Amino acid sequence: MALLKREEWQDFVRDVDWTLTYVDDEAVYPEWFSGTGKVPREAWLAWEEDYKVSYQEYVYTQKEKEASTYAVKAALSRSDTFDHLDEGWKSATKMHFGGVAQVEYTATLAELKMARFGLNGAWRNMATFGQLDELRHNALTTYFGHELVVKDPQYDWTQKTYTTNDWVPISLRTLFDGIMTTSNVVDCALQVPLAFETGFTNLQFVALSADALQSGDINFANMISSIQTDEARHSQQGVATLQILAEHDPTRAQWVIDKAFWGSARAFSALTGPAMDYYTPLEHRKQSYREFMEEWIVDQFVRTIEDYGLKKPWFWDEFMRGLDTWHHSLHMGLWFWRPTIWWRPKAGVSKDERDWLREKYPNWEQTYGDKWDVIIDNVNANNVEATLPATLPYLCSLCHLPCCNPTQSRDGSWRVRNKPLSYDGKTYHFCSNGCRQIWWKDRDNVNHETLVDRFLAGQIQPMDVGGLLNYMSMTPDVMGDDADYEAWTKDYVGRPATGLAVPAGAQA
Amino acid sequence: MSTPARKPRKQRTFSAFGDVRKMPSEYEIVTHAQNWNTRDGRMSTFEQNPSSPINLWFLTYRENSPLQVDDWDGWHDPDKVAYRSYVNMQAEEQTKLDGLLDSYNEAGADAEFPAEQVARLGALFTPSRYLVHGFQQVQAYIGYLGHSSYITSAAGYANADLLRRVTIVGYRTRELQMAHPDSGIGTEERKRWESDAAWQPAREAVERMLVAYDFGEAFTALNLVLAPTLDDVLLRQLGQVSKAAGDELEWHLGNVLGKDAKRRDRWCGGLARFCVQQRAENEKPLHKWIDRWSPLADAAAEGLAPLLGKPAGEVVAEARAAREKLHAGIFSTADAAAAAG
Repeated sequence: MALLKREEWQDFVRDVDWTLTYVDDEAVYPEWFSGTGKVPREAWLAWEEDYKVSYQEYVYTQKEKEASTYAVKAALSRSDTFDHLDEGWKSATKMHFGGVAQVEYTATLAELKMARFGLNGAWRNMATFGQLDELRHNALTTYFGHELVVKDPQYDWTQKTYTTNDWVPISLRTLFDGIMTTSNVVDCALQVPLAFETGFTNLQFVALSADALQSGDINFANMISSIQTDEARHSQQGVATLQILAEHDPTRAQWVIDKAFWGSARAFSALTGPAMDYYTPLEHRKQSYREFMEEWIVDQFVRTIEDYGLKKPWFWDEFMRGLDTWHHSLHMGLWFWRPTIWWRPKAGVSKDERDWLREKYPNWEQTYGDKWDVIIDNVNANNVEATLPATLPYLCSLCHLPCCNPTQSRDGSWRVRNKPLSYDGKTYHFCSNGCRQIWWKDRDNVNHETLVDRFLAGQIQPMDVGGLLNYMSMTPDVMGDDADYEAWTKDYVGRPATGLAVPAGAQA
Repeated sequence: MSTPARKPRKQRTFSAFGDVRKMPSEYEIVTHAQNWNTRDGRMSTFEQNPSSPINLWFLTYRENSPLQVDDWDGWHDPDKVAYRSYVNMQAEEQTKLDGLLDSYNEAGADAEFPAEQVARLGALFTPSRYLVHGFQQVQAYIGYLGHSSYITSAAGYANADLLRRVTIVGYRTRELQMAHPDSGIGTEERKRWESDAAWQPAREAVERMLVAYDFGEAFTALNLVLAPTLDDVLLRQLGQVSKAAGDELEWHLGNVLGKDAKRRDRWCGGLARFCVQQRAENEKPLHKWIDRWSPLADAAAEGLAPLLGKPAGEVVAEARAAREKLHAGIFSTADAAAAAG
C-alpha cells in the first residue's frame, strides 16, 4: 500500500488556527464560552492530545464496533434471557436507560460547544470526534432501551425521563446543564472529560457491566462495555486542557474540578449506589459501592489530579464520610418516594442482605436498621399504605436531591442535618456543607427553584400527591412500587413489632 | 348485551411517538426529542438561574431568533442519517477513497502534474483547510444551538463531514509537498490564507460568519449561502479545471467530497423549506439573511477566480447558479403551496 502514515500528514489537520483580523478574537471566542480567563491566549497553542486519531481510523474502527455490538444484540433478542432476569437488576437497568440516555445527548452538546469554541484547532477536531462518540452512546442506549418497551412500559422512560419535571431529572439536568452545556470550554474539559468521564463514568460503566454479566444480562453488558471503549479517545481533552490551566491558573483548575467531582459524587450516590448495593441480587454483587468508589475514584482519580500539582478537594473528609451514608439514605428516599420513579426499587434488606450491608458498612445497622424495621413491621402488618409518602422532603438547593445525609452526634446518634443559608431575604436549604459552599460561590448561576420551591409557590396544582405526580408526568402504568415486598420482609414475620402506624380510617 | 371493551394495544414504542400503528424507524427512535433543553414547557432553556449568561444567550439567539416554527420535531433529515448508518457509509466511502489515493500514489501521478496545476493546488486547494475548518466551527455551533435533536444530529454529522474534508486536504497537502518540495505546499498555506489578496474576501466572510450568533442567521449564512457557493468553486470547478490540466485525482476528490456537500444541501434545503411551509413569516428573515450573505459569498468566489485560472465572471455566475438552485427548492415549493392554499 502506498498510503501515507497518519504521523506524516496529521499536523496539517491539527494546524488550522489563524489570526483573526476582520472581527475581534474575543467576539469569535467570547469569554462566556471560551473562558480563557487568566491564561494568555497564546498559551493554548501548546494544547496537544496524547492519543491522536484520524477521521479514517475513526470511521473504520467505529464501523467494526457497531457491527459487533448490534450483532450481539440481534443474537440475544431471540433468547428469553431478559424474562429470567431478577426484578431488582431490571430496575438497575431501567434507572440506567432513563437516567443516562439523554445525558449522552447533552454530552453531544458539550462536545459541539468545544468543537466551536475550543481554543485550539486540534482541540476542536478532537471534540468533533467527541460529539460523534456521544451521538453513538445516546443512540445505543436509546435503541437498546427501546427494545424493552414492549416487555415493560417503564422502559418508555428511556426517552421520556428528561422531558418531565420529575425530581430525578430536575436534579440531573441541573448538574449536567451546569457542567456540560453551559460551562465555558475550559471548565467543561476539566469537568466532563476529566472529572466525569475519566472518573465517575467508570462507576456506572465498569461496575455495572460486571454486575450485568454476573446477573446474566449479557446484552446490557455488551452495550455499556462497548460505550466505555470510546471514552479514552475524547476524554483526553481533559488532561490536555488541565496541563495548560494548571500551569497558568491552578486555583481555578482546582475549584472547577472540585465542584464537578462533588456534583458527580452526589448524582452517582443516587444512581449507582442503590443499583450496586441494593438492586443487584446479593449473589451477583462483585464489590460494594464504597469499595468500588475507593478503587476507581479515591485512588485513581486522586492520583491523576495530584500528577498535575492539584490537591484533594477541600471537602474530602465530608465526601469520604458520605461514602457510608449518602447512597444508603438516597436508597431509602427512592424507595419511600417510589411512586415518583420509573423503576421498581427493591428494598434489599432481608436478613442475608443486611448481613452483607453490615459487613461492608459497619455503621449501617445503627444508622438505617431501625428505620427499615419500622417499614418492615408495617408491611408485615398489612399496612403498606403507611409506608407511602404523603409529603415532600426538603430538597437541596444545589444538588436538588433530598436533604437526607445523617452525621453522627457527640452522643453517638445519627441525625440528618439541614445546612441552611440565608441570602437576599430567603432561607435556602442544603444537604451538605459541600453543596452549600458551591451554591454560595456560584449563586448567580445556580440560583434556581427546587421542586419544593415550585410547590410552595403554587406552581403545582392541586397541592397534593396527585398534583405532584401529575406535574412529574408520572402515570399509573409506570409508577414505581416495590418489586417484591415479601422477598425482604418474610424473614421478619411474627416478631414483636413496635412503631406500627395506625391504618388510615381504623381509628375509632 | 354489551360490546366488550377493546383491549388497549400493547405499547411497542416510545410514548413520545403517540399512538402509532407503524413502528418508527431506527433513525427516528434514536433521534426523536433527545435534547432536553428543547422540551415543551421548560421554565428556562437550562435548569439554572433563568438569567444566567447562557440562558440569556439561548434566549436571545435561539428562542427569540426570527426563524421560528411551532413544532421543530416535525422536520426530519431526508437521508435519515444516524450514527450507525453514518459510520457505515463513511467507512465504505473511505475504502473507496483509500483505493483512489493508493492507486494514484502508486502511479506517481503527483510528480507528473504540470507546474501550473501544482501552483493552482498550492494556491487554492491546500490553503482551503482553514476555510473548511471555519465552516466546521459554524456547523458545530448550529448543532449546539439546534432547535431539535433532529437538527443537532444532522449538524453533528455535517460537522464531521467537514473534518473529513480537512483531513483529505491535509493528506493531499503532504503528498504534494513530498512530490514538489520547493512549491511552498505544506509551508505557505497559512500565509496565503491570511495575506493573499485572492483569499481575503473568503476569509472575511468566514470570520464574519463566526460572529453571526443568531441560529437562523448562522444556519443561513453557512448552509444556504457560503458553503453552497464556495463548494461549487472549490469542489466542482476546481475538479473540472484540474482534470483539464491532467490531474484526475483532484477531480475524483471533488466528486467524493461533493457527495457530502449534496447531502448537506438536501437536509439544509429541506429544513429551510420546512420552516417556510410551517410559517410563511419565516420567508422574510431567510431572504434578509440570504441577501446579506450572498454578496460576501460572491466576493469570495470572485476573489478566488484568479487562482482557479478562469474568468471571474464565469466563476461567480456558476457558483451563484449552484446556490440559487438550492434556493429555488426552498421558496418555489412554498410559493406553490401558498398559491394552492
